[in-house]
Amino acid sequence: MAKYNLKIPLQDRDIEKVRIGDLVYFSGKAFTCRSRLQRYIFDEKHSLPFSTENKNLLIHVGPIVRKIDNQWKLISFMPTSSIRFEKWGPRSVKEWGLKAIVGKTTMGEGTIKSMKKNKCIHASPLCVSPNLWLDSINIRNVYLYKELGSIEAAWQLELNNLGPFIVDIDCQGNNYFDNLDIIVEKNRKKVYGNLRIPENFKYTKLY
Amino acid sequence: MINEKIMEKVILNTIIKSSCVIPNDIIASFHQITESKKTGEEKDAFENMVKSLELSAKRKNPACPDTGWPLFFYKIGNDAVIEGGILKLEEISRKMVARATKEGFLRSTMKHPITGEDPGNNIGPHVPNFDYKFVPGNAIQLTYVAKGGGSECFGGTRYRMIAFADGIKGIEKFVIDSYISATRAGAICPPGILGIGIGGTANIAANIAKEAACLRIIDSRHPEPMIAKMEEDLFHEINNLGIGIMGSGKGPSVLSVNIEYAYTHIAGIAVALSSNCCISRRATTIIYDDGKIEELVNPDWFDRKENNG
Repeated sequence: MAKYNLKIPLQDRDIEKVRIGDLVYFSGKAFTCRSRLQRYIFDEKHSLPFSTENKNLLIHVGPIVRKIDNQWKLISFMPTSSIRFEKWGPRSVKEWGLKAIVGKTTMGEGTIKSMKKNKCIHASPLCVSPNLWLDSINIRNVYLYKELGSIEAAWQLELNNLGPFIVDIDCQGNNYFDNLDIIVEKNRKKVYGNLRIPENFKYTKLY
Repeated sequence: MINEKIMEKVILNTIIKSSCVIPNDIIASFHQITESKKTGEEKDAFENMVKSLELSAKRKNPACPDTGWPLFFYKIGNDAVIEGGILKLEEISRKMVARATKEGFLRSTMKHPITGEDPGNNIGPHVPNFDYKFVPGNAIQLTYVAKGGGSECFGGTRYRMIAFADGIKGIEKFVIDSYISATRAGAICPPGILGIGIGGTANIAANIAKEAACLRIIDSRHPEPMIAKMEEDLFHEINNLGIGIMGSGKGPSVLSVNIEYAYTHIAGIAVALSSNCCISRRATTIIYDDGKIEELVNPDWFDRKENNG
């Protein structure tokens, strides 16, 4: 396990060295997104009103943001589950030129394929610690606030060593959680044994 | 008489506390985990979580931006006199959810299920939800629970009907299998608090499972030895699965397993699961008839006497 402080815009050479299980921190420009933004762009065929070229890190998050003294203030922040956005994942990675996604619950097969092709990683938080992240994030701007509302708008962020996040998909297509599934599966069998649940247990079919 | 002004103040403060101040029993369980480890990523993760939660309490900001479904659990004293009655209590509760949302203590998370329309105040049909218990005395006790979306949406809430023939093994297999799939890749923010409801109709099982997940404190055991043993066995075995904090494989997989049961029909056993995320959001306040207010750690929701029939 290695630790990396990655600078945005992320370059292929940064991404290629990172492996599943590594811890990463990010500095530079990033933007946020949830399903309504992706639906707005990919299903309803609007164009993204900003360039992702210099901010190729996407964070899946529905933050709490308030306007205080005419300034946006981030009140709470915790990456949210990425798998919900799988439908739009492959196109997001390709068309937005993403090199990294921060979220939870990893991504599905389609997006992993696209990530491998476009050299992109996915990273997840190891705990729920919004307050330790708030000090590493400044809000620079927001797009589609009126159309999508505060939670689902595209917030434009400036990050200062935001992390740590554990890399769960690397650009070779390896998935940390797939590897863990094998261990949990072995443990499941042991636990069945400890609880005296027969391995071939079948439920009585009621419906 | 319990007047409107006091209700407004207590309900708003309880909502804010639930969102921003994680109960002591949860924090204590995190400390216990960090103290048992010398080094390691899970020690860092739990320590970071405690630091963040302490800052939330100090800064009065939500411990997590997902402030979830707004749920009210009221214990109403049989002799309580409430200005404007229960309808006023509900009206004030709704207003205070809207106010806490406007002030940034709750995120505007509740939406129309089909159109996605966002009222901006977390108020709509069946939301917030109210549950009541009627108890002796003249006080009212409020527990506000902010029930996170992750723990509800990703398999942390399940139900199945089990035949008597499949008994305890069928129940335990269902719990183990469900919890594994719900925690994969950190979906429900493990180590969760797992509530299990056994018996009753499907909705009774689901209700008592949710109450077991959200309203029992860590390390509380069911008073009946047979149920307490099931809780302990499942707690021990789920922690042998290697799920870990946020599904990382590191550290404990579950913080507590809490079982509640209802009598059931001879036809079958409803079993429901309800998981709560590791940072369980709940706060409890009691308002006495003379206007005195007391904050409690333990919602003390389950009246064990009712089990005696």
